[in-house]
Amino acid sequence: MMWILILVLFFFSIYAISVVEHWSVYRRWDFLHPFSAFAFSFTQEDIKPRMHDKTFLQTAPILFIVAAVLSVGVLPFAKDFILVRIGTAALFINAALAYIMVSMVLAGWAPNGLYSMIGGWRFLGQLIAYSMPIVMAITSTVMRAESMNMTEIVESQYDLWNIIYQPLGFILFYLASLALAFLPPFDIPNSTGELSGGIFSEYTGKRLLVFRIGRLILIFSLALATANLFLGGWYGPYLPGFVWIFLKTGAVAISYFFAGRLMPRLRHDHTLEWSWKYGTPLALTNILWVGILLLL
Amino acid sequence: MIELISVLIVGAILFGIGLYGALSQTNLVMIMMGVELMLGAGMLNLVALWRYLHPESYSLQVFVLVGMTVMALEAAVGFAIGTQRFRTKGSVEMEETSEMKE
Amino acid sequence: MITIRLIILIVLGLGAIWFGWRVFMTSSMVRSAFSLLANMAILGMMFLVMRAEFLAVLQIMMMATEMSIMAIFMMMYMMDPGGMGDMDMSHQKKTSIALALLAGVAVILIVGFSQWDAIAENVPTTAQQNYDLGMELMKRSMMIFETAGTSILVAMIAAAASALPFKNRKK
Repeated sequence: MMWILILVLFFFSIYAISVVEHWSVYRRWDFLHPFSAFAFSFTQEDIKPRMHDKTFLQTAPILFIVAAVLSVGVLPFAKDFILVRIGTAALFINAALAYIMVSMVLAGWAPNGLYSMIGGWRFLGQLIAYSMPIVMAITSTVMRAESMNMTEIVESQYDLWNIIYQPLGFILFYLASLALAFLPPFDIPNSTGELSGGIFSEYTGKRLLVFRIGRLILIFSLALATANLFLGGWYGPYLPGFVWIFLKTGAVAISYFFAGRLMPRLRHDHTLEWSWKYGTPLALTNILWVGILLLL
Repeated sequence: MIELISVLIVGAILFGIGLYGALSQTNLVMIMMGVELMLGAGMLNLVALWRYLHPESYSLQVFVLVGMTVMALEAAVGFAIGTQRFRTKGSVEMEETSEMKE
Repeated sequence: MITIRLIILIVLGLGAIWFGWRVFMTSSMVRSAFSLLANMAILGMMFLVMRAEFLAVLQIMMMATEMSIMAIFMMMYMMDPGGMGDMDMSHQKKTSIALALLAGVAVILIVGFSQWDAIAENVPTTAQQNYDLGMELMKRSMMIFETAGTSILVAMIAAAASALPFKNRKK
């Protein structure tokens, strides 16, 4: 019974993320846009390039959406509502996000086109670079909870949320989530002005639809991970637990689109420089900070 | 008993395939892929022995962690050497290394 | 005794062998790198069936990154990354097949004919495994990991230094 409610709220939040993304690009509230875009992509003609790689063209969208759904599956929606209970769930998020990277490389290579292949390799560099701050920020929350189980990480934030305990970790996780979901300012791999569309330039029809829905699920899962790891999960004053989680997830996901438009698109080598030169040492000092706080 | 033996047989077959690849390929990258297959088969054997014979001691898991570290490191150093060779010679075929004798 | 776990292990093992075979039998280079990735991911799933969860998640995560890097290096250095031409890039085939068969059959015979001890039934839970693995690293195997850390640092510096281009190259 509760699961049906959570599923309905899940689809509603994906619809809401799509509406807010449309607003942030076009500055107009259009509540029917997701349905019309869905219908348009669903009925579009399916064009395949000449001499494309047959296996990878079919596999890449499916792997993308499977990896996104897997990373949602290990995160809790309320106190006892997790789809798959794994003991090492905090590390599994990173493993699922690594397969997003694999599917993007496959998607770039498959259509036998120059721009999509370069977009794929650029995305590979960006994602390897930004996996480092993500896994180190997750490690510092695991250090506080002394367990990799997501339920225990949320329960360790009962009196003090992690955003106050380790603010540097929250900022790094937030920026790395922006880079992982290729949102602006990190959206060199598939933006419209750069490389004529990048990875998604040769995809039409139902496959592009699978990519777009998978991208919305990816944004949702990163926001849900932020809400669980840093914002205290389901703890809140009056409302039941799962309502608080969806409110926090929605707030984080909507703030992704506002925070990203504040600066212009970063050049690719600046993107990598931010992560390797500044992001990873700061994540290590965050681990040191949490260690000192735990020993005191 | 039969689970342990079947997993070890799978590890043995993978080791054989990796050995074939490491010996018969001429390109550096393919040789490295053969070595990675051999290391992966070794790690599979280790985890099977841990689970079925001694689940209470963790030195086998530490061995697997060190094995994963070695896989990553030899890939890194191997690609650095391959990069430098590509710059000087123009290809990374291993059959041309006998030209370095003179 | 045929249990569900045995059937899953055998099916996954056959999948791993098939993907490992495809690594060397395909002519497209990027396909062979991702076939190796599928092989490693199936090994990770076998670790998960055998209740070593931390190692399974580590294997799945690390091999994804490593094989993607291998794919990009293959594209940089190989002569035929798309596999559209028809080249056979192997030498001394008979020797290597003979040696591989010899090694595989020798290991299978050793496995089949040795006396194994009693099979342990109870595996610790995941939380207990993580805790004990951490304790093992910090107490008995700390020297091993210090050495591994230093060797990672040395390998990083060596790889970065040996991949630098030459400075004053006189043509």
